[in-house]
Amino acid sequence: MSTSPKMRRMLAMGVFYVVLTAIAFLFLFPFYWLLISAFKTQAQIFTIPPQWVPRPIIFNNFAELYRQTDLFRAFLNSCIISGGNVLLTLFLCSLAGYAFAKYPQARGHGKLFNFILASMMIPGAVTLIPSFLMLVWLHLINTYWAMIIPGSASAFGIFWMRQYVSSNVPDDLVNAARIDGCTEFEIYWRIAVPISKPALAALGIMQLIASWNNLMWAFVVLRTSNMLTLPVVIYLLQGEVRTPFGMLMAGGLMTTLPLILAFLFFQKQFVAGITAGAIKQ
Amino acid sequence: MKNDTESQWRRDIIKYRHFYLFISPFFILFAAFSLYPVLFSLFLSFMKWNGLTQWKWVGLGNFTSMLYDDILWRSLWNTLIIGLLYIPPMMILAFIFAQVLNAEWLKLRAFYRAALFLPCVTPMVVIAIVFSLIFSSEKGVLNYAIMGVGHMLPFLHLKPIPWLESESWSKTSVAILVVWRWTGYNMIIMLAGLQGIPMEYYEAAMVDGAGVWERVKSVTMPLMRPTFAFCGLLSLLGTVYMFDEIFVLTNGGPGVSSMNFGLYLFNLSFTDFKFGYASCVAYTVAVAVFFITLAGLRITRQREEAK
Repeated sequence: MSTSPKMRRMLAMGVFYVVLTAIAFLFLFPFYWLLISAFKTQAQIFTIPPQWVPRPIIFNNFAELYRQTDLFRAFLNSCIISGGNVLLTLFLCSLAGYAFAKYPQARGHGKLFNFILASMMIPGAVTLIPSFLMLVWLHLINTYWAMIIPGSASAFGIFWMRQYVSSNVPDDLVNAARIDGCTEFEIYWRIAVPISKPALAALGIMQLIASWNNLMWAFVVLRTSNMLTLPVVIYLLQGEVRTPFGMLMAGGLMTTLPLILAFLFFQKQFVAGITAGAIKQ
Repeated sequence: MKNDTESQWRRDIIKYRHFYLFISPFFILFAAFSLYPVLFSLFLSFMKWNGLTQWKWVGLGNFTSMLYDDILWRSLWNTLIIGLLYIPPMMILAFIFAQVLNAEWLKLRAFYRAALFLPCVTPMVVIAIVFSLIFSSEKGVLNYAIMGVGHMLPFLHLKPIPWLESESWSKTSVAILVVWRWTGYNMIIMLAGLQGIPMEYYEAAMVDGAGVWERVKSVTMPLMRPTFAFCGLLSLLGTVYMFDEIFVLTNGGPGVSSMNFGLYLFNLSFTDFKFGYASCVAYTVAVAVFFITLAGLRITRQREEAK
């Protein structure tokens, strides 16, 4: 049997795609398991052989979740905290980034900027305890502010906004606006911010994901059940003796879906943000 | 003269007041939650303090305690092992997928990219719990699959693996979870690196008659070294300070078999409330990691120059 080079090539291509797709499905498998487990009873989750498609499909987990937990409150808390954190970060970083991009002659400009860059080397582990104590002294423990404020002074955010503003907002435009009588803040707000929308979107989506998923800090600074965010509530649903996995998966689905949607909408900006982090090195 | 420079100073500050005004909101928070903590943490390193009573100066006492802290050394050792278990497969997988996604003829590119990348954006709590179901020793789908393979190929003598219940497997389970979570992230960084390599280099290599493998070896690999170094640095930091993955999947157990540095530090700080000692440990390890990074960067740079 003789195989032509073309045939062999097609065969190789077929194998290549099969392997690639298999790996891709392997990476998607935990999402699938999350999805189907949310529609199973505890018994269905633990049957052997596993039920690849739940039979019957159970919706009770969502009802139980509503009845037994404050997940909807947690969802609201997560939205407020993530939203607040994203907005505050975008405002602080774009304003300071704009200042660093457009006032290079100011005294101390270079030193302050290098200082911020150097601070990126400090791991969060070192600042953990003092940051916590700071919130205690400011009486902000167990408030939304305790989650919103600390992460918002992002050194990377400043770096990223400065890069974008200095290469996309022309000095001529800034000067022209100044001659037209715009105040400095108006120039930032009316000219720099609209032009920087792509950079703001990238920084925003990165911050959103970090903030929404933040478990450790939420554990430390949130105390009462009405303040908890989704990740903490999900974590605490795990029981000492018996964990209601169906409910957990239903809650997990609700925690994960908003992020997957945000990611699919802003995939390009997110990728741009990560890549920028690599190039700066 | 002195007056002149002083008034010059003042005039400059006033002239560029908007600069200072615009950076001040950032700097106030930066000072409160980055600058001051770094200094206060250093101060605490020499104290014994539980957060409630008055702190007590212990000099280098915290540093000597570290030497005799068995769990600290265990957790650092575990950190190293977990890193060695997951970094090589993750890097190889990320590199292969970056290469594949960089190929122009690839179909379904968006699907492959999203499939590998989606794990990076999902909440670790949820996914770690899903993995604990998958890893379940008696009713888990992973052991079910292993037994299925064992049934088909009996000579392999496959047995169900106690993924989360045994001290010898818990690190591997963590490593699998981490590979799943972070491969896509590294893939994206490597993809950007690959796209930065000019096509002419490959064309020149092809003119010289280089095959696919030779092109990867002599063009891609050397030019990608800075990217690999960056990914390596991220992975180093990621392993030392990893928290969510281990906290939810094993909480360091069984025993302390999968406790890494990040989780140990968290427990010291917020379970034991040893604020002084925890600060000391955090500082020492941060400085050590910094010097390891520096040494690593120097080695890669020297090799670059030797070429």
